[in-house]
Amino acid sequence: MKVKVNDTELELAPGTSAIDAVFAAGYDVPYFCSQEYMSPIGACRMCLAKVGAPRQDRATGEWILDEETGEPKIFYFPTLMATCTTAIMEGMVIDTLSDEVRGAQNGMVEFTLINHPLDCPVCDKGGACELQDRAYEYGSGLSRFRFDKRHQEKHHALSELITLDRERCIHCKRCVRYFEEVPGDEVLDFIERGGHTYIGTLGEGLPSNFTGNITDICPVGALLDATSRFRGRNWEYDHTRTTGLDDASGSAIIVDARTGRIERIKAALNAEVNKSWIDDGTRFGHEYVDAEDRIKTPLVRKEGELVPVTWEEATGYVKAKLEGIADKELGIVLRADATLEEGVAAKALADHLQTGQLDHCPRPKASVLPEGDAARFTDLATADAIFVIGDVSEEVPAVDLRIKDALKGVSPPASLPHGVPIADLRLKERMPRKAGLLTVAAPYRVDLMRHAGRSVCYPVGGETAFLSALVKLATVEDELSEEEVAALGMPVDEGRALIERLAQAQNAVIVYGSFVLASPAARNAVIALAKAVKAKVMVMGPMANSYGLEAIGVMPSHARYSYQQMIRGGAKALILSGLDPAQDPSVAEALKDLELLVVHHHFANATTALADVVLPAKTGYEKDGTVVNLEGRYLPVRSAPVDGGQSEDFTGLVRYLGEALGVRLDGRSTRSAKRALNHLLAVDLRDLPDEGLLAKAKSRPLRRVSVKEQEAVSGNVLLVPSMVRPEFVSRNPQLRAAFGDVALCLHPDDADQMKLVGGERVRLSVDGTLRKATVRVSETVPQGIMLLPATPEQPVGLVSADLATLVKESSELEVA
Amino acid sequence: MIELETVKPFFTDKDELLDEILGRYPEYGRRSAIMPLLWEVQRAERHVSEARIEEIAEILGMHATEVKGVMSFYSTYHEQPVGEYHLQVCSTLSCSLAGADEMTDFLVEELGIVNGETDAEGRFSLQKVECLGSCGTAPVLQVNDTYFERVTRTRCVQLLQALRSGELPEPWRERGGDNVSAEKATLGGDDA
Ligand code: SF4
Ligand code: FES
Ligand code: FES
Repeated sequence: MKVKVNDTELELAPGTSAIDAVFAAGYDVPYFCSQEYMSPIGACRMCLAKVGAPRQDRATGEWILDEETGEPKIFYFPTLMATCTTAIMEGMVIDTLSDEVRGAQNGMVEFTLINHPLDCPVCDKGGACELQDRAYEYGSGLSRFRFDKRHQEKHHALSELITLDRERCIHCKRCVRYFEEVPGDEVLDFIERGGHTYIGTLGEGLPSNFTGNITDICPVGALLDATSRFRGRNWEYDHTRTTGLDDASGSAIIVDARTGRIERIKAALNAEVNKSWIDDGTRFGHEYVDAEDRIKTPLVRKEGELVPVTWEEATGYVKAKLEGIADKELGIVLRADATLEEGVAAKALADHLQTGQLDHCPRPKASVLPEGDAARFTDLATADAIFVIGDVSEEVPAVDLRIKDALKGVSPPASLPHGVPIADLRLKERMPRKAGLLTVAAPYRVDLMRHAGRSVCYPVGGETAFLSALVKLATVEDELSEEEVAALGMPVDEGRALIERLAQAQNAVIVYGSFVLASPAARNAVIALAKAVKAKVMVMGPMANSYGLEAIGVMPSHARYSYQQMIRGGAKALILSGLDPAQDPSVAEALKDLELLVVHHHFANATTALADVVLPAKTGYEKDGTVVNLEGRYLPVRSAPVDGGQSEDFTGLVRYLGEALGVRLDGRSTRSAKRALNHLLAVDLRDLPDEGLLAKAKSRPLRRVSVKEQEAVSGNVLLVPSMVRPEFVSRNPQLRAAFGDVALCLHPDDADQMKLVGGERVRLSVDGTLRKATVRVSETVPQGIMLLPATPEQPVGLVSADLATLVKESSELEVA
Repeated sequence: MIELETVKPFFTDKDELLDEILGRYPEYGRRSAIMPLLWEVQRAERHVSEARIEEIAEILGMHATEVKGVMSFYSTYHEQPVGEYHLQVCSTLSCSLAGADEMTDFLVEELGIVNGETDAEGRFSLQKVECLGSCGTAPVLQVNDTYFERVTRTRCVQLLQALRSGELPEPWRERGGDNVSAEKATLGGDDA
């Protein structure tokens, strides 16, 4: 459609909004309420313009012509129009520059500021505030308002993570719409009306995993991230765009740091991955980086004590020790959120020292690489049938949001010259959701089930049987046996209906995560199912670079060289990065027999207590490198200026150690690692674009570990994925305040039987490791099982806890 | 403190009523039943407590915050219980000019409560409201759902006397009005 904005003519697709036409033409119009990926509602009236269009004669279909010029006559709307809710028409003329329009914009700025406190000098949004900018650009700079302004609460804790200043709110309704439209839970609303309107909730907190996004989209300083409030001004922050390493989604984030400290994390836009949303774990889970007890220098044990030394001394010490250790006796293990470059470094070091004892952890028993047709986020968001096995909202919350996109049934927006449409007219408030296309299966009730047409709770630990029964339904005519029906967790008809829905869909996607990955048989079954119904698969690996590390082969050369074996006597010397296996006392015993234990970590822990050498590690915010997200997308990780002392990532460790050993190893720097990766993958990782690169890498892992069929598992504790990473929770006070401590969830009947009540702090030996948790009682937990968040050392799956070890950390009150 | 009386869910034994109200809307428009449900509660309890809001949210499959948002939009729903007689004095222009402010002052003095308050016995509540749409017969006083027009001092005294003796007079309307028949039903509801 032809549209004319001021003097610029342009061609745009029908359905485009007038505001997007204005921006596409390179002009500006102020706006507050419209927001990418959300419905335009015309609430703020800031985007006014003079709009008109030619008209056709009803009878003849001819354009009505202007008598003077002979051109089609433009009929203007009688009033100025909100461009965000106006769709373009053929020949539309939009004027944003005339005095009339400027006057109206000026008037709207004045109106919006009537009740605004103008406390910009003490407002965290100052310098990055849409209202401030627009008032400056489009306002008159003067106020004629002589009356008292409305006074409201200025420090309302909407939750532990978000503080609301009700005076600053301009009632754009972005935050309210966000909750209904994006995560699909209207947990925040306008209360009262007119000049009295304020944002509020009934009851405490905001029950959602995605609350922080409202602090990004609030156009003023009304909604603020409580972790960063009053900590700095926008122009003082260094903004680093990078990739979040909190989960496997590869969500884009902006790290705002000041004087060497991360003050806050915001969502960045990656239209093909996380759009502009991130979960609260990713946003607020950074406080540990600046924890008091962070290790910032290398330490070497001298006379029983760890004493600070230089990197050279530490690696010199390691080199000396290594001399006495034979080939194949050294183990090297990375945490699964290490970058590809760190992986290359680890491999180079292992190759140099001629050991096959190389691994990453957590590494599920089954491969995290998708087999068959891999689904991208965009496939997920446009799927017409989705089958989820697992708890996406905790494992990879970004997947949860993209599934909710699919439920709306609106395909991703076209990209305009200025980016994502500001006002996508296809989006509406309270759109009907096609819940029917979503089926969610998990061993217990998970959050996404509230949005699913059908949900299934199969028996705990029964993934293989559950999926095998489905495969049987999909591939053979035979009736299911009684056991198979039981394993299905739903009536057979429903199972058949699910298969049919998936098979008939044009674009079906099966999403699975750690519950399935805990068993190779279950993983094979889900792949068979996907083949049978011609669905694409999306695999949620446990950590940010699980995909990449497996793909480049940071893997043991033999099953007996796996991490689990290494720490139980398989290795004589160990270099562990980011892990803490000594939490398990039996492992700690085994580690004591090592000839050399090098721990590369941020904090002192049970394993550093046994280490000969402790090397300070960079956090995911301080590294440069590349990770591969669950789609197989290469994403750049960039370092923010954070004071980590002498911390190095694994490439740094290998550089120092290489120097000590007198070799130049691949991966001694990110540059050399990238060169090696280019050889390995035929992908050039230098200067990756922000949105990443979906390259066709070799899809097979270079080293495959032959997997022994695992024995039937049983247990009374199910380790479950958790958005809030339990290993950091004690050093993330704000996140902990909002989401609570590590929780041991159990059914009310079990709680009664064990004489436990909600809120009690307990200690319990789970699979040999002492875990501390707070009891949470919930009907959603199956009877006879307890749920506890998994850690890198205790990955998702069924394990046994010794109930005899259960101790209440009773407070004085209870004793009395 | 009043939570005791709200322990039992309001709609427990009102299945028929609930079915009737929900039946008015198609399944996808279930949330539309917010208004009649709130109204049922308020008619019976003279306010809608948080417990009731949560109950309604539960019935409609919504978040309680949403119900609260709708409820708070309408000044006619009360968060706190109002008295048996809810006196609403119009305080918009026509009524003000015709002496509504003086009427308010008089009521404040007589009842010992100010705008927005309820007396200790829970008998009277006083509230200034915006235009009641009866400007031609100002000043107007609305008692619960009943209109009393052209309320002079004498008529106001009479009215208070009647109310104090427990009787709500017939409405004083000059042009009939639309609540003459509805008014009985409403009073019945109030007694329940
Ligand atoms: S709090 Fe912010 S986002 Fe929410 S309505 Fe107010 S100004 Fe808009
Ligand atoms: S009315 Fe707010 S952006 Fe158009
Ligand atoms: S001003 Fe009182 S009824 Fe209109």
